[in-house]
Amino acid sequence: MLDSLKDVIRKSSIHACLINTGGCNGCDIEIVALLSPRYDLEQYGIYFHNNPREADVILVTGPVAEQWKENLQRIYAKAPNPKIVVAIGACPLSGHVFNQEGSAIYPPLNEFIPVDASVPGCPPRPTEILGALLAVGPDAIAAKGRQKE
Amino acid sequence: MIVPIGPIHPALKEPLRLKLQTRGEKVIGAEIDYGYVHRGIERVMEGKTWQKAVYLSERVCGICSYIHTQTFTETFEKIAGEEAPLRAQFLRVIANELDRIQSHLLANSTYFNTIEHETLFMYMLSLREPVMDAIELLTGNRVHMAWNVVGGVRLDAKEVHLKSIMNILDNLESQYARYPQMFEHGPLLGLRSKDVGYMSKEDSIKARAVGPIARASSITEDLRTEKPVYKDHLDFNVIWRGEGDNFARNMNRFDEVTESIKIIKQAIENLPEGKVRKKVNIPAGYADNRNEAPRGEVAYMIETNGNLIKNISIRTPSIMNIDACARYMFKDVATVADAVATYASVDPCIACTERVTIIDEESGKVHEVNGLHNVKSINLK
Ligand code: SF4
Repeated sequence: MLDSLKDVIRKSSIHACLINTGGCNGCDIEIVALLSPRYDLEQYGIYFHNNPREADVILVTGPVAEQWKENLQRIYAKAPNPKIVVAIGACPLSGHVFNQEGSAIYPPLNEFIPVDASVPGCPPRPTEILGALLAVGPDAIAAKGRQKE
Repeated sequence: MIVPIGPIHPALKEPLRLKLQTRGEKVIGAEIDYGYVHRGIERVMEGKTWQKAVYLSERVCGICSYIHTQTFTETFEKIAGEEAPLRAQFLRVIANELDRIQSHLLANSTYFNTIEHETLFMYMLSLREPVMDAIELLTGNRVHMAWNVVGGVRLDAKEVHLKSIMNILDNLESQYARYPQMFEHGPLLGLRSKDVGYMSKEDSIKARAVGPIARASSITEDLRTEKPVYKDHLDFNVIWRGEGDNFARNMNRFDEVTESIKIIKQAIENLPEGKVRKKVNIPAGYADNRNEAPRGEVAYMIETNGNLIKNISIRTPSIMNIDACARYMFKDVATVADAVATYASVDPCIACTERVTIIDEESGKVHEVNGLHNVKSINLK
């Protein structure tokens, strides 16, 4: 009873936090575009608070610049369980065009924190990000929550 | 007391740490920490051909990605002593102004978000989406357009697409006028914005502020007036205001959108026939080139040996504007919330910022802000 109640609550109110680890902010503005009335992220019960301490979903963009090497784990630890990490864009997957000799980045992201889903693209379209969030968000969070107990 | 804000903070789109010095609720100074998005783009570009580097220049910044490729390719054209065909130059103008519109709408939406006026925030974002569609129609992409090449643009625009862009702009224009009015006459919005974060003309010159931020403080410079294609073929006004506060900065952006719509319409109507790309032989040499990005002046300095880039330096507008904000606008801000709003009104773009040298005027010291190796906060009085 309590479990299923928790499931329902977890599914219907998801708080997201965006971390730009050194990307060009192209991905970030596509995520901002998700808030616009055309895509309207909030109708799915996903809210942007940008506060890791209350985040269920952590969206990560960018190819992990030097300052984020340690900070990423710290921020990941701050988020309460159950949590989901979605890597947005080509940057966290491979470092993208920046991953060449002489650059100061340390991709891929999953060497630092566990990644649950990736959305490739530079930047991915808002609909793709939305699709990924909905595919992975509600159910996976509920499932992860059950695992813990 | 010192109030740290960031690097991850609800009001910031991008990572940056602001340390606000406060006395009571009043903000008396600020320190800024950069270095969270340093990637080393300039270093990566060295030793590459322009065909490879143009993608990197686009990814300096996502919001104003277009102007970076334009300035980059124009610099090479300048080294070769050539100009793109006139049709290509007109198409560049159209793309540039579309990009400016979406950037300004995004900047204003961020500001309204920080002063917690959600209605206008949503209005701005919903106005922006059709503009993104127009950009996609013209270039094939929403954010990174990959449209400029040395010697012109990659694709010609079709008549149908230009028509639909005209339609989109007509729609935008017919709805647009009420939003600046809402902002101008809304009493609460006025209270939150007028006389907050004031910067005088002298201060903005001292801080080398550029773009709409400087133009909101009575500076009438706009690099577009010096570009041949704007000067000879298009008719537009430079928007500037005298108040120098948050309200003026946002109104300035609002009014520039109207001008941009005007420019695009003229450009589409007078679009000359002809080719959109020509072959350019690049000799060894050096050139610098400046352009008016949505946030102000962006400059590229490139040295090439005819094939590979030997040296490149990029100067983006945000660094001066953020500096102006920390140094002058934060001086007399009543509350921390207003300080965050002031910061948002500067339209900071961190991804651009991480490569520049700042010279501290009082001590004459040079702070290198070339990313992590030298991340230093700028100390302000
Ligand atoms: S994937 Fe592309 S758009 Fe996204 S942050 Fe990286 S370079 Fe920018």
